[in-house]
Amino acid sequence: MRSPFAYIPRPRPLQLASPGAAVAYLGALVAVAFLYSNPIVLLAVGFALVIAGRLAGAHAAVRAALWMGFTLALLIIVVNALVVSRGETVLARLGEWPLFGQVDVTLEAIISGLVLGLRAAVVMVGFAVYSACVDPDRVLRALRPIAHRSALTATLVSRLVPVAAADAARLRDAARLRGPGAAPVGRAPLARRLLAGSLDRAVDVAATLELRGYSLDSPRLPSGATLFPPKEGRKRFTRWVPRRTPQAIRGRRSRYDRRFCVVGLAVLAVTIAGEALGADAFSEYPATEIGTGAATLIVAALLTLSGLAPLRRSPRRARSVQLDRRTGSNSLPAGRI
Amino acid sequence: MQFAAAATQPAPALSIAGLTYTYPEATAPALNHVSLSLPPGEFALLAGRSASGKSTFLRAACGLVPHFHGGAIEGRIEVAGIDAISAGPGELAAVVGYVAQDPETQVVSTTVAAEVELPLEMRGDPPASRARAVEEVALALAIPHLLERAVDTLSGGELQRVALAAALVTRPRLVLLDEPTSQLDPVAGDELIWLLRRLNEEWGVTVLLAEHRLERCLAAADRVIAMASGSVAYDGNPRDFLTWAQDADEALETPAAKLFSLVGIEPLPVGVRAARKILSSSEHRVEGSRTPSSLNFFGGEESAGRERIAEKVQDVRRGSASPSTAAVAVRDLWVELVRGDDESRDVLRGIDVAVKPGELVALMGRNGAGKSTLLRTLAGLQEPVRGKIEIPGEIALLTQNPGDYLVRERVGDELPGDAGEAALQLVGLEHAVETDPRDLSGGERQRLALAIALAGRMDGEALPGLVALDEPTRGMDRARKDDLVGLIGDLAERGAGLLVATHDVEFAAAFAERVVLLGDGVVIADGRAEEVLSGGWYFATEVARVLDLPGVITPEQGAEVLRKPTEEG
Repeated sequence: MRSPFAYIPRPRPLQLASPGAAVAYLGALVAVAFLYSNPIVLLAVGFALVIAGRLAGAHAAVRAALWMGFTLALLIIVVNALVVSRGETVLARLGEWPLFGQVDVTLEAIISGLVLGLRAAVVMVGFAVYSACVDPDRVLRALRPIAHRSALTATLVSRLVPVAAADAARLRDAARLRGPGAAPVGRAPLARRLLAGSLDRAVDVAATLELRGYSLDSPRLPSGATLFPPKEGRKRFTRWVPRRTPQAIRGRRSRYDRRFCVVGLAVLAVTIAGEALGADAFSEYPATEIGTGAATLIVAALLTLSGLAPLRRSPRRARSVQLDRRTGSNSLPAGRI
Repeated sequence: MQFAAAATQPAPALSIAGLTYTYPEATAPALNHVSLSLPPGEFALLAGRSASGKSTFLRAACGLVPHFHGGAIEGRIEVAGIDAISAGPGELAAVVGYVAQDPETQVVSTTVAAEVELPLEMRGDPPASRARAVEEVALALAIPHLLERAVDTLSGGELQRVALAAALVTRPRLVLLDEPTSQLDPVAGDELIWLLRRLNEEWGVTVLLAEHRLERCLAAADRVIAMASGSVAYDGNPRDFLTWAQDADEALETPAAKLFSLVGIEPLPVGVRAARKILSSSEHRVEGSRTPSSLNFFGGEESAGRERIAEKVQDVRRGSASPSTAAVAVRDLWVELVRGDDESRDVLRGIDVAVKPGELVALMGRNGAGKSTLLRTLAGLQEPVRGKIEIPGEIALLTQNPGDYLVRERVGDELPGDAGEAALQLVGLEHAVETDPRDLSGGERQRLALAIALAGRMDGEALPGLVALDEPTRGMDRARKDDLVGLIGDLAERGAGLLVATHDVEFAAAFAERVVLLGDGVVIADGRAEEVLSGGWYFATEVARVLDLPGVITPEQGAEVLRKPTEEG
């Protein structure tokens, strides 16, 4: 059983983009959720992230994050309504509660909880889209030269989590298959067994990492240098090869990188400009005031539009452009008049 | 001149001298005075019973022993001229690739491309040369279509190929494989062995392959090294190995060699092709063998023998499908599994099958054919989307990992009371009540897990209902398989219907009365074991492939057929 948040490689722009570009784009949207409190803007960011996730094919991740986010939001609203008694519009007086004291449920506290919950839900959707669409191997590869040991730990964890989940599912099945005369298995023995099994698994994964050469220092050879296996009877050696083209050295890039970086920067620029122009107008207490000025609506509209960044360009149009380039003609291909 | 000759002499791919190794806290050495040398380009097979030291030997050759496991080591190991005892596995990674038995524990990345590329990245290769090496190895192993897939969406066979690709991508001088076919179906297993042979011939890679199912790979090997109690018991060519095994350890004999030795035909055959060649030139020529064109099971021309098979298959179906007398009866069973985001597929499609009390049935088919899903559905772990399952009695299922059933530190704590005692007696473990399950041997652990599944489901000495086993022979040597055949027979005698999912054709031939063959979620053959296991190529025993006679699948049956012409003559 795969986690809905597990990365699935798909030929979509967000998955094809390099981790830096994808993180710049998603990170900018998540940053807005932390910087703004206006619910219109928060809803716009959430909507943008949902669109982005669905365009990237991460339907299950978005669904699961929305479900979890709204559940958490509901919890926050209830707790905030019971704990905070500030606000002018009292909806219910619930009297003295142990630990809580006098409990007055106010409209402002509910709206304040709603904003906090909305923020949490937006952040969860953002991380769900990241988890389902950004290749963790490429992220770790980018991290390795900077922090070798941290990358090793992250590699072990990222591999062990799904393996432990699969082990837990198998152990649960085996517990259900025990005969009625066998000792029943409670949670504690099952957890102990899972922990012991995970340690064995960790040893296996660590052995594999050793065999893949992870115990060597992080790759720090100068660009253009390569280490070849030793030849007959000789010790290993470093052979210098001609400098490759800059693109080859940089490795796999995506034509969508620029788009995500530009949209990420634009989101940040709009966010900063919006803050300066009062787009985040919102106050909770004593009476709730939600800014609905032009700046707020423009920022919300632009942020919603940013969710279209992972949109794939129509292949038909791309093909026609290619044909035109090949023939050097500016005319439309046959049949498209 | 002497110097020039020495300079051009290639270093052995593996050279071991006087190697003795003891695991930490172990009392006896796992390897004892092992010495051998593998020249470059050789394909060597490492044979031996379970716990004979094969895996430890391979771990020593790739540097995991002693660097990863610790322990005391004496002697010398050199891999392509590098001292493996002073260099660690990371440094040896450039010259040696290692593929372990369980492919799931050998992947550390999320996608196939990243997994294959990782060793090159660790070595510091630039992206351009990494991309080329990944492409080349993917083409060599026929996995380019898998490169962009997530590793947890791959089948066992695909995952094993990916692990092999990761081991080969650095173009190592030596590749070590520890029972790589134990989880593969016969088709994928054969493909892997011949792929290794092709890489060995075309790339010049030295291959050292540890394997229990020798009949599968003996024909591909140049040399056999047999281990016993941590020492090299035999080191030589495959044909002489068979002669040696005849006297030294019958568990290492291949079925074809056993057939020949029963009849007294010399020399012993190294594979099916050699066996046919020897037979065709001997007085024991087999009359009535089918031509290869008639081998497809339900198509092609029908001989008199095949008509008889079809009749018998119908007889078996008629006899076994009566729900009133069945230990389990399944009608029109459909099961759908959901994988990933939007993927779901019908894993079982309209299955009709029934097992009678006391009947021994082998459930066979390729990886992903639906064998485990059928057993899980019968045991109630999986909900069908359509169909009817009738189980008048109890069902006990032993899944692929017996260790999953063992959660306590004392056998008696797993199986308390009279019901537990009865279950332990049934599997012959009543003496081990005070033992820690982790101290039991692999075979004993499997028996204990079976006892846990059966406890409380017995009616006195009798076993009403169905006992299902899923791939019970993974990593087992032939001696342990023979023990399991005995246990399965005992359970059937007590009245249980036995349904055993297995890839092991020889094991199925040894225990099963009937074979149900699944293909892509449907029953494609259901008949007597002698008929089904002699009616194809991949799902056929070695003896059936050699003799190609309907109904002849074991060495004993084959010997009977071969003896007749000479007796009559």
